[in-house]
Amino acid sequence: MLNCFQQAHHAMLPQNTHDEASRQEFAKSLKSFIQNQLLPGLAPVYSNRVAKKFALQNGAPPKDRHEIRKGMVEDPYFKLYASINRISQELLWEATNVSIARQLPQLIDRAKQLSKTAACELRIPKEFTPPRYVSALDIHCMPGGYCSEVAADDVAAGALYDRGVYLYSMGYTGPNNDDMGRSVCNYLKRNKPDFKPRRILDMGCTVGHSTLPYKEYFPTAEIWGIDVGAPVVRYAHARAQAMGLDVNFAQMNAEQCDFEDASFDLVVSHILLHETSGKAMPKIFNECARLLRPGGLMIHADLPPFDLMDPFTQFILDNETWYNNEPFWGAMREMDQIELAEKAGFARSKVRFDNAPMAIMEFAAQTAGYDEQTAEEVSERDFTAGEFAPGGGWEVLIAEKPLANEDAA
Amino acid sequence: MYNDSDNKQPQIIKDAKGKRPEFYQNDSDQLMSMLMVLASEINVLRDRVDAQERVAKQKGLDLAKGIEELELDDTALREREAWRQGFFDRLFYLARKETNEQQNQQTEQAYRDIIEDIALK
Repeated sequence: MLNCFQQAHHAMLPQNTHDEASRQEFAKSLKSFIQNQLLPGLAPVYSNRVAKKFALQNGAPPKDRHEIRKGMVEDPYFKLYASINRISQELLWEATNVSIARQLPQLIDRAKQLSKTAACELRIPKEFTPPRYVSALDIHCMPGGYCSEVAADDVAAGALYDRGVYLYSMGYTGPNNDDMGRSVCNYLKRNKPDFKPRRILDMGCTVGHSTLPYKEYFPTAEIWGIDVGAPVVRYAHARAQAMGLDVNFAQMNAEQCDFEDASFDLVVSHILLHETSGKAMPKIFNECARLLRPGGLMIHADLPPFDLMDPFTQFILDNETWYNNEPFWGAMREMDQIELAEKAGFARSKVRFDNAPMAIMEFAAQTAGYDEQTAEEVSERDFTAGEFAPGGGWEVLIAEKPLANEDAA
Repeated sequence: MYNDSDNKQPQIIKDAKGKRPEFYQNDSDQLMSMLMVLASEINVLRDRVDAQERVAKQKGLDLAKGIEELELDDTALREREAWRQGFFDRLFYLARKETNEQQNQQTEQAYRDIIEDIALK
C-alpha cells in the first residue's frame, strides 16, 4: 500500500513552505514504514528469541504483558523499533512546530477575524485550572500539550494538533481528520434512523475534528464541543467557521460541565477517555448521565478493553504508555466501562460495546491522495496491534438513558 | 489565560514535558535521532531537486548548466549560513530536550509516579 493521503486545507491550517511540507511528509512516511515494515518483525522476534531467552533465565516463558515487556526491552530489534517510533513522533511535532512559529501572529489574527462574526458561541472562562492528567505530561509528546499559551488569544496548540494528528494518523481518518465522528454519525443513521437529537455535546473535542460531522448529519441540532484547552477550543471555533459550520465551543471540564441537567439528547466523546484518569472516568460517566434527557444516548469511541486480548497484543498496545507520554493508556483498558456506565445510572441491558465501521471510503477520490484502492485497503484491514486505527471499525461504548417510566436498575 | 504586556514575538514550545525513555545503554539515542533528522533533510533536498527539475522542464530551462556556472555572492553566502544554523538547531533537538528535562526535574521516577497517581481509582 502506497499511502499518499493529503490533508484538506482550510483557512486556519498553517501554510507550509516546500521544505516544511517535505519534512512533514517524511515524518508521515516514516510512520507508515514503521507500521508496515518494522512492527510485523516484533512477533517473530518475541516468540523465537525473547520468549525462549526469558524461559531459560526464569524457568517459564513470560506470563503477562509486564513480563513480556521485561524481556523485550533488552532485545536489539525491539530497541530499534521503539526508538525509531519515538523519533518519528518527535519529528512530526518538530516539523509542524517550525511552520507555526513562523506564522503564529497571523494565525491568531485569522482566528479572531473568523470567530468575530460567528453566529455561535465561543466560551472561555476567565479562571480555569486544567486537570493534572493533561498538565503533568505533554500527552503523545506534543510540545506544550493542549493548554499552554505563549501569546494572548493563542491558537498554537490547536494548529499543532490539527496538522500533527493528521501526520500521526497518516491520513487514515480522512482529509479533515474526522473519521471517528463521521463513523459514529453513520452508525446512528444506520442503527437508530428515528433518533433525531436536538442538542449534542462532544466532550474532549480538541479542535473539533470529530465534532463537525454531527452538524453535517444533524444540521438543525445545536452542537457544543468542550475541551480543557483554551487554545484548542479557540482554534476549533475559528476552524468550524472557516469550514462554514456553526458549532459552539467552550473551555470546560467533562467531569463537571456548566450545562443544566437533562439538556442534551446525545453526549459523545472520541479518543477522550484514555487521556483522563482513573478518578476522572467515573465522574465523566456520571456527568453524561446527568446531562442526558430520558431516552438520550451516551457514546464513547475509544480504546477497547484489554480483557479479551492475548498478552503479546496487550504488550504492543501498552507501548504507548511507556514511550509516548500516555500514562492512562494501559490502565484505561483495564477499567470495566460497562460497570462504570451502570453505576452512573444506565441500565445494564442498555449498555454495550459495538463496532462503528470506518467512514474512510466516503473520502475516496474526493481529496488528493485518497484513491479508492488505498482507502479500501485501510478500511478492510484486520485488527493488528500497534497499527493506527483498528482496521474494520472503531470500538464504541453505547448507553441509553432510561425513559422516565423505566427502572434504571 | 495568557497575560503579557510585552509585545514580543511569541516563543513556540519546542519540547514535550515528560522524561524521554532511554532505548540504548551506550549513548546511541542521540546518534539515532540525528541520523533520522539527517535522513529527513536528505528527503527534503531530494524533493526540492526533483521539484526544480520538474518546474524547469515545464518552462524549458536548462537548469544543470546554470547551476554549474553559478558564483555565490555575499548575500547568497549569508543566506546559506543562516540556513545551516537553523539546520543544526533541528539536528540537535534531543540535546535541547535533555537540558529541558534536567532543568525541570522530569525523571523516570516522576513519570512512574504520574502513571500510579493518574491510574489510581
